[in-house]
Amino acid sequence: MGRPAPHRYVSKVVRPPDFDAFWEDVLAQAALVPLNIKVVPDKLRSSDDVDVYQVFYDSLDHVRVAAWYCVPKDGRRPLPAILHLPGYQSDPPVSKEWARLGYATLTVAPRGKVRSNKQFNPGYPGLLTYSIVDRNTYSYRGFYVDAWRGVDFLMSRNEVDARRIGATGSSQGGGLTITAAAMRPEIVAAAAGAPYLCGFIDAIALEGTYPYQEINDYLNIHPESREQVVTTLRYFDGINFASRIQCPIIVNIGLQDNVCPPETGYATFNAIGSPDRKMYPYDGHGHDAGRRDHAAIVEEFFRTNLEPQQG
Amino acid sequence: MESQEEQRPDAFQSYWDAVLAELESTPSVPEVEKIPIRTTDFATLYGVRLTSIGPYRLTAYLSIPTGEPPFPALFFAPGYGSVVTHIPQGAPNSMRARYATFSVAARGMRGSEKPFEASFPGLFTEGIDSADTYIFRGIVADTCRAIEYLSSRSEVDPSRLAVIGGDVALIAAGLTGKPTHVAMDPGPFFEAAERAPATQAYPLQEINDYLRLHPRKRTAVERTLSYLDPRWFAPAVKAECRLTGGAEGEPLDRRALLQLLEAIEGNVTFLETEHSSYKDGLSLHRWIAEQFGFDEPILPSIW
Repeated sequence: MGRPAPHRYVSKVVRPPDFDAFWEDVLAQAALVPLNIKVVPDKLRSSDDVDVYQVFYDSLDHVRVAAWYCVPKDGRRPLPAILHLPGYQSDPPVSKEWARLGYATLTVAPRGKVRSNKQFNPGYPGLLTYSIVDRNTYSYRGFYVDAWRGVDFLMSRNEVDARRIGATGSSQGGGLTITAAAMRPEIVAAAAGAPYLCGFIDAIALEGTYPYQEINDYLNIHPESREQVVTTLRYFDGINFASRIQCPIIVNIGLQDNVCPPETGYATFNAIGSPDRKMYPYDGHGHDAGRRDHAAIVEEFFRTNLEPQQG
Repeated sequence: MESQEEQRPDAFQSYWDAVLAELESTPSVPEVEKIPIRTTDFATLYGVRLTSIGPYRLTAYLSIPTGEPPFPALFFAPGYGSVVTHIPQGAPNSMRARYATFSVAARGMRGSEKPFEASFPGLFTEGIDSADTYIFRGIVADTCRAIEYLSSRSEVDPSRLAVIGGDVALIAAGLTGKPTHVAMDPGPFFEAAERAPATQAYPLQEINDYLRLHPRKRTAVERTLSYLDPRWFAPAVKAECRLTGGAEGEPLDRRALLQLLEAIEGNVTFLETEHSSYKDGLSLHRWIAEQFGFDEPILPSIW
């Protein structure tokens, strides 16, 4: 027998009363760490139409974070900018194709990713459950801040119009887009695909696939830690961030998504605070979330909201 | 039009014979250790250490079902990315109850990143100006070593050993002759030098990046890549093959892949991608079950 319609699903995620206070405290700690930005031109990856730079900045706990920064050479300034957020397993790409559309683009490699793993490297699988019993040392506490600090980098650049910053990504990148749009009001448009890190405890009951399966694996050998795990995850669940989002946002999901169940996508979307929100559910699609057809919608969304043609 | 034999590099056979000879003279010296956190009542996961050419020490992951062996086996060939896990993201963990599964972190990938840590982008052009230094000479050897190891396990049914992946899956199947089934998504080595200028997508874009900076190395790069083209390995592949390519008119459609499809010695089924991880995944799981004699595939619960 199939599952009930995913849009009818009621999430089991609970928002802790001190959720906002927890994150305000984390951001206050992060603010004590200067960005210490380094920008290195990358001749190998640059092309006739796009300058590519390797970027490094400091984040929470003084962890050094790497990123790729791409800027179109065509002379239009100031530029709108897009923060690109990576998937769980994938390596952050060099987003030259978005630069060619008229955006400054930053692709962040949060801690543990290749180029950002000298100080913190829990591995895959492993990242999702690293210190999962303690919200103050859980892997994603720093990981989220690493991603959000990409906004600070973009705002530091003379060529970027700080009033036109967007964020996008799919899977973990979709979840990070939700959290970034929630915590950084400088983000004025967001496009999240197949959001991971949303509805953790729903997902581990609905499906038995990795990466969420890492949590089930952990609980299988640490059943006594279930309550602590559930408590920690409440502070990191995208569903609990979503009510803070006030910018225009689009979300795409696959109705047969076997990695991030569509139930969690709907629960996240329904919690979004912005009235300017639109859901694109793709029937017949899994974790790709209809990417092939949806790409043009994302392009048009940012063209409308960030106006790259304005220069 | 040149015949296939005429397009193949002259030293193709001797090049790969030398790689296989080096591999044969390199003891694999396996170390096997249970990984309790990924072990369930239906399957046990082991971390495996193996030595490949170089010598280079590799990490691999072997899952063995609970029950009476032998089991059909699925080998997930290394793809293009830093992360290698015991089963692919999105595959149901419960499939480990039926199939022995194996994956290897080739040199440079996470788990096998010492002494060489690959960068992405970067791996595709590492040492590319000579076929003798090209990183994929080693990665192919690593993949062959993994297949040899898997097929040597007494729990594995040698008559039901599938390799799943990209070009490297077919290449290793051709070089080892061990897999009975190959499920392959062609690329990026298929006609790599010819296709690179038409794309902005990585990893092929790495070739464009590299040649922009090193234009004088074009001939050397093209020569190196020609040693990895799956077309030249196809005549040695006797396995039952399933290739997924583009729909008509898309890149790597049936027409573009015709030379490869016709060169494979074994029976070949070609499928057009539906650009849906659900539909393409469902089709793959059904094919595996059917080929290995099961009535039903093991699927994610939502499928």
